[in-house]
Order: sequence, then structure tokens, then C-alpha cells
Amino acid sequence: MCLNRNEVKVMSDYDIAIEIDARGSFCPGPMMELIKAIRQAEVGEYLSLLSSDEGTRNDVPAWINKAKHELLEIINEDGHDRYIVKKLH
Amino acid sequence: MKKVVILGGGFSGISVANKLAMKTKRKDVGIVLIEPRDHLVYEPQLLFWAFKNYPLSKFTKPVTKVLNPRVTWIQTKATKIDDTQRAVELSNGETIYYDYLIIATGASMEEDKIGATHDDNVHHFYLPKATEELQKSLSNFEGGTILISPTTIPFKCPPAPNEFAFLLDNYLRKRGIRDKTKIKFLYPLLRAYPVPSVAEKIQELYEKRGIEFVEFFNFESVDKDNKKVISLEGDEFEYDMLVLVPPHEGQEVIKNSGLGDREGFVHTDRFTLKVKEKENIYAIGDCTDLPVSKSGAVSHFSSGTLVKNILSEIKGKSANHKYNGKTICFVVTSFRRSLLLDFSYNYPPRRYGIHNSFIYGLFKKVFKIAFFQVLVKGYM
Ligand SMILES: Cc1cc2nc3c(=O)[nH]c(=O)nc-3n(C[C@H](O)[C@H](O)[C@H](O)COP(=O)(O)OP(=O)(O)OC[C@H]3O[C@@H](n4cnc5c(N)ncnc54)[C@H](O)[C@@H]3O)c2cc1C
Repeated sequence: MCLNRNEVKVMSDYDIAIEIDARGSFCPGPMMELIKAIRQAEVGEYLSLLSSDEGTRNDVPAWINKAKHELLEIINEDGHDRYIVKKLH
Repeated sequence: MKKVVILGGGFSGISVANKLAMKTKRKDVGIVLIEPRDHLVYEPQLLFWAFKNYPLSKFTKPVTKVLNPRVTWIQTKATKIDDTQRAVELSNGETIYYDYLIIATGASMEEDKIGATHDDNVHHFYLPKATEELQKSLSNFEGGTILISPTTIPFKCPPAPNEFAFLLDNYLRKRGIRDKTKIKFLYPLLRAYPVPSVAEKIQELYEKRGIEFVEFFNFESVDKDNKKVISLEGDEFEYDMLVLVPPHEGQEVIKNSGLGDREGFVHTDRFTLKVKEKENIYAIGDCTDLPVSKSGAVSHFSSGTLVKNILSEIKGKSANHKYNGKTICFVVTSFRRSLLLDFSYNYPPRRYGIHNSFIYGLFKKVFKIAFFQVLVKGYM
């Protein structure tokens, strides 16, 4: 399930293995950065992607769904969104 | 006298060397170019060359013919940059010292990382030798499934694989074997091009021309024994011919010198073109990590800023000229048609042009003359 909350989540809720700061980068930059990081991460690890690009809201959930990983949350932070993703396989 | 050393004599390195030679005096500034190859290739032509055999000399020129005679050319490779000593080690065993260094080493085509070669009917059109093999294979092709896919992003000239798909469709129709051939375009994104408005147009044309689009295909590997290409998402497709964009990385010299990101692309300030956190080093063209396309157009539009900044520094002023990310790009949609895109850091790509104009398609070929006579020589 994917929650979309209008509040800042306390980051210690997730043990983030890789944080990707793609703020300021236009589509498809943030998604391609996430894909690169997923390739490097271990199965079961959590990743956090920061993106200020509107298109990411469409692309990332669709890709996660296709690639069968898990999108835990999209957190709206100041001027950007934070996507919390778990690598499942 | 100040010494400017330029690493790499592709379009970026040679045009910057020539611009500096025109704007400075021999007694004030010495310019040295380090480049192992003896010819400059007009790369956009490779795309067309894949479909028609003519001498490579039609779109290459000897370095000596395009380089300002004031520039000293050393035909060797740089192996390591030591910014603390302002020195570059060369593969001929020498060390060269600089006051200002310009890195223009381009992207490395990592063919070995594909895991298959032209003998397996796996091809690309990013280097002359590989394009020649593709040309031979295409001329012997009598029908089957041709798959087209990028491997890594970013890659040079973002529309090149789309353009290849359009030209391939044209070519197969001319040869009368289009109905015996399936063309599938596999792409890492949800749409067939990064820019939604352009992707919409491209997908409309794909549909018209019977080119199948497969979304979210992030290349993982080739199973050459079973003639299959496999994605990170777990999809597999069989092919008779596979045309990839080869994996792109930065050059060894960048990785050895700790100046780049994970892939070896140089950390570059997007406005000043200075290498981040370094003094007296600049970078230009495909070797950089700039958030713009890897294209000759970006090199061209950014070279003026780089030259102005170096000249300011030589005069003891600060390097405050800024590149705004401006570039243009033609997307070829057949042998005679194309779309024109216009980008900058400040606005997302805008699309211009009437799709069925002859001018744009021809532009790319005619542009070759301007490339060698005007742009490379630093006149613009
Ligand atoms: C098929 C195709 C179509 C294209 N179409 C277009 C287009 O339509 N429009 C457009 O704008 N762009 C296009 N491009 C992209 C364009 O050709 C490149 O972006 C441009 O050539 C980049 O120039 P560069 O000098 O930065 O890199 P390169 O041309 O790659 O030059 C780098 C140079 O550095 C040298 N070098 C490497 N390592 C070292 C070292 N260690 N020491 C010294 N020298 C070294 C290399 O030998 C090379 O000569 C296309 C490219 C391809 C392949």
C-alpha cells in the first residue's frame, strides 16, 4: 500500500540503506537514479528518493509496480517529495 | 606565459582549442592538446551510415586538418591527473604540467559490458567499426525480429535510438522486407522519450509505422545462446537482431584521478563549467555530469562560457560567466523529416517544427559541412 501524507515523517521509522537526492533534476533523472540505486541495493533494504519533479509522482509508482518492488510512502516535504522504497527481489 | 592543456580532441576539445588559439596570443598562452586518435568523426552521420555503405572519409577529417596550427598536439592518452601538482601523466611515459586544464575526454563506449558481439547479431551504431558490422548485417537481413534498446542512461544524443527505429522502418520498406520484419523498441521509461510531448508524437508515429513500443525495459543482460534480451524488471524478448546503445561511462583517466561520479563522469559546475572543488580545471562535453543531454550541441553552446572564464582567470579576474543550459536537438523521424527541440536549465524542452518539412531532415546531413568548416574551427 502507498500512503501519501502531508507531514514530515520521522526518518528513523525506516532504516534507509541508500538515500538519493535528485532534487532539481528533471524527469527522467530521479527515476533513473532510483533504478541505479535499486541495482546496487541488497534485497530487503530500504531506499529513500528525494525529488522535486512533478513527473516523478507518476513514473516512480508505475515503475515500482512493474518491477515488483514496494513503495511504502510518498512524504510531501518542503519543496519536494520523499519516496520510501523497499527492494523485494 | 600561461599553459592550457586540453585532454581529448573530439568535437569539444578541438573546438575549444581553436577558440582559445583565436582569442589569445602565442607569447601569452601556450595550448597543448592530448588526443590519441588521428581523425575527428562527425558522429551524427553514423546513424545514416548504418544503412548505406560509403567511405568513412566522407565524414571524418584528420586532426591536423581541423586543428589550429598554433595548438601543439601530442598523440597519446592521459592516464592520471594530479591536481595538487597541476600535472597530467601520459601513456607515453611523460608528465605534462598545466596552469589551466580542460577535460574533454568524452564518454567511453563499454562494448565489453554487453556480453555479446556482432557475431551474435548484437550491434550498435556508436563507433565506426561497430556501425560497419551493423551495416553488413542489415544488408544481409531478410526478415525476422529486430529489437532496439538503450542499456545505460545517460547516453549520447538521447533521440538516437528512436531515430534508428524510424530509419530502420524506412530502410526495410525500401528493401521490400518490412512485412517480414517485426521492430520492437524497448525503453527504460513509461514513454518512448524522456519529454512527454515529444514521446506522444514519437509513439503516434510508431503506431502508424508498426513499430511496437515496450515500456519500462531497463536492460540487464543478453542471453546470446537463446537470442534473448533480459530486463531488470524481469521481461525477456527474443531477437534475430539486437541493436543496443552501448553502455556509457566516463574514461579511465577520470576514474583513476577521483574526479568523477560512480560512472566516471566529471563533477562539473553546471554554470561555470569548472570541475567542482578544484582550482584551474574545467570540463566540457560528454565527459561531464551536467544535467543536460550528451550532445555536440551542448558542447557548442557551452564552449563560449568556458573560454571566457579561462580568459578571465588568465587576466587575474574571477570566472563568473555562466552557461544557462541552452541547447537544441533535431529528432530525425525519417530519412527526410525531423522535429526540432529547444532546451535550457530554466525551462523543460519545447518542441518546434512541422513534422513533414524536408528542411530539418536534410539539415542534419548538410550540417556536416558547417561542423567541420565553422564549428570545429571555433568560428562560432
Ligand atoms: C550516432 C550518434 C548520433 C549523434 N547525433 C547527434 C546530433 O544529432 N546532435 C548532436 O548535437 N550530437 C549528436 N551526437 C553526440 C555528439 O557526437 C557528441 O556529443 C560529441 O561528439 C561529444 O564530443 P566530446 O568531444 O565531448 O566527446 P568525444 O567526441 O567522445 O571526444 C572525446 C575525445 O577524447 C579522447 N580521449 C578519451 N580518453 C582520453 C584520454 N585518456 N586522454 C586523451 N584523450 C582521450 C577520445 O579519443 C576522443 O577523441 C551523436 C552521437 C552519436 C554516436
